[in-house]
Amino acid sequence: MTAAVTKAPAGATAAAITAIPPRPSRAFRDAVAVALIAGGGLAAYWIFPEDLGLLTRILATCLYVLSLDLVLGFCGIATLGQAALFGTGAYAAGIAAVHLVADPILLLVVGGVAGGLMALATGALVLRAHGLTLLMLTIAVTQLLQELANKLRWLTGGSDGLSGVEPDPVLGLFRFDMYGRTSYLFALAVLVVGVVVAQRIVRSPFGLACRGVKEDPLRVAALGGSPRGHLVGMYTVSGVFAGVAGALTAVTSGIVGLDSLSFTWSAEALVMLVLGGAGHLYGAVVGTVAFMGVHHVLASTNPFHWMLFIGLFLMAIVLFAPGGITGGVARIAGLVRRRAP
Amino acid sequence: MTAALLQVERLSKNFGGLQVSADIDMELHPGDRCALIGPNGAGKTTFVNLVTGVLSPTAGTVRLEGRDITGLSAQARVRLGLVRSFQVARLFRSMTVREHLELAILQRERRTWALFASVGRTRGLAGEVAGLLATMGLGAVADTAVGQLAYGQQRLLEIALALALKPKVLILDEPAAGVPHSESQRILDALDRLPPDLAVLMIEHDMDLVFRFARRIIVLAQGRLLCSGSAADIAADERVREVYLGSRGHAAHRA
Repeated sequence: MTAAVTKAPAGATAAAITAIPPRPSRAFRDAVAVALIAGGGLAAYWIFPEDLGLLTRILATCLYVLSLDLVLGFCGIATLGQAALFGTGAYAAGIAAVHLVADPILLLVVGGVAGGLMALATGALVLRAHGLTLLMLTIAVTQLLQELANKLRWLTGGSDGLSGVEPDPVLGLFRFDMYGRTSYLFALAVLVVGVVVAQRIVRSPFGLACRGVKEDPLRVAALGGSPRGHLVGMYTVSGVFAGVAGALTAVTSGIVGLDSLSFTWSAEALVMLVLGGAGHLYGAVVGTVAFMGVHHVLASTNPFHWMLFIGLFLMAIVLFAPGGITGGVARIAGLVRRRAP
Repeated sequence: MTAALLQVERLSKNFGGLQVSADIDMELHPGDRCALIGPNGAGKTTFVNLVTGVLSPTAGTVRLEGRDITGLSAQARVRLGLVRSFQVARLFRSMTVREHLELAILQRERRTWALFASVGRTRGLAGEVAGLLATMGLGAVADTAVGQLAYGQQRLLEIALALALKPKVLILDEPAAGVPHSESQRILDALDRLPPDLAVLMIEHDMDLVFRFARRIIVLAQGRLLCSGSAADIAADERVREVYLGSRGHAAHRA
């Protein structure tokens, strides 16, 4: 039998045309991805010691875009309201830091809980709708919250932003220094933990059910499941992630502004996710690093026309690599694997 | 005589002034292999939708194991063991065959809220999936995305999904629809391996399949129960021939 000669993977039919080495297992690929993120993050720490502020912002944004991937990539919920969840976490952590606690990890918990509760409350309402209606509702929620934050000046600082977030040292040991080293490493650790937890969730029975809901909610109902329950569930999980990302931004930057609840911030998350590729988890990280990296380089070299180049970059990705950067790379890898002798 | 698993009594449905189901009575017992036939427009699909809870009836009751389930949602009925397969295979195109069965089993066990558990390490899951794959002859394509399966295999998976829910009553809506005649034997083989105590109601147009599978046949015509009986009774029944051939005979006469 030819399969034996070409060493095709077990279970492949005789139709395994050419020798395709088996794809590495999912667990292995997940572990490699985590190692790459941690390794890449540490490498960036040594290579760009002058840019740790920007890099910290990128890491927190990665977590934020990851939270969007959980709902868009794994549940198919089209939302332009992710900033509502991020901003809720950021303001909750910021307000808690000014008035209540200063422990950075506790502040992340506060942000996560706040983001999760906000997602649960708004998700239970808006996820009755679909498509364009849902999109509009998520935008409306974000606008409402932004206006609320603007009006509650005594609590949020209004349009001046909330400042005076001065967290204690991490674990009581690592002081937030003026060079942003602690901030950066703290953010990297949080992102790595976030990715591991997200991997766990999307590979769980819950994650499997959500993928089913994404493809055909009525079929899930015909299996006895509750599609909307799972949507609200994943939206809540996503709210926790977005809330932690917001709190992380507040803790590492020291301020929270109204832009954290803006429509633009929601839209940028979507752009970064589509750029990286939705539904992979890693697409969120790749897309964020690519978008913010290119943004930074172009904006500093050509402050007048950088938006044009960002636009062209996006169009090229959407036209030539519909699965985003990660989708494109996976396709090329697939071709190479098939060509390999 | 065993107690009826599914009892349908005087089930009726009106859409406005149009009566599409009228006073249908039916019983299914454990181990039944029953077929529901009738010409186009006889109300077969409406009947299935009424029994499975997609539509609510204008009058009449549906009982499962003696319990009145007329007011329950389709999902609640599935959880009680009244499961259907779909006429057009409704599957999750990007998921593999294995993932489909895992999802169905986890759904049955109400474990789809386990956020941090691992599907791969769920106890007993892999074994049960392997059993279903073997029963349906889908072992070779277990890790293939469903979008790449041949249509006949998708139909088999549709049946496997229903079985994964461990139903008491299984309604098969045209299990061989769209499958080339040469391959319908594989579907029939799979149906032969269904659990013996399961009550099966099959809606089918392919009379070959109906006569080979069913031990009892129910005929619907114009929303009413026309007659029921063994395959031989039905084949010999003058009224059945009339509703099936009546209009066609008429057309032939005119030609």
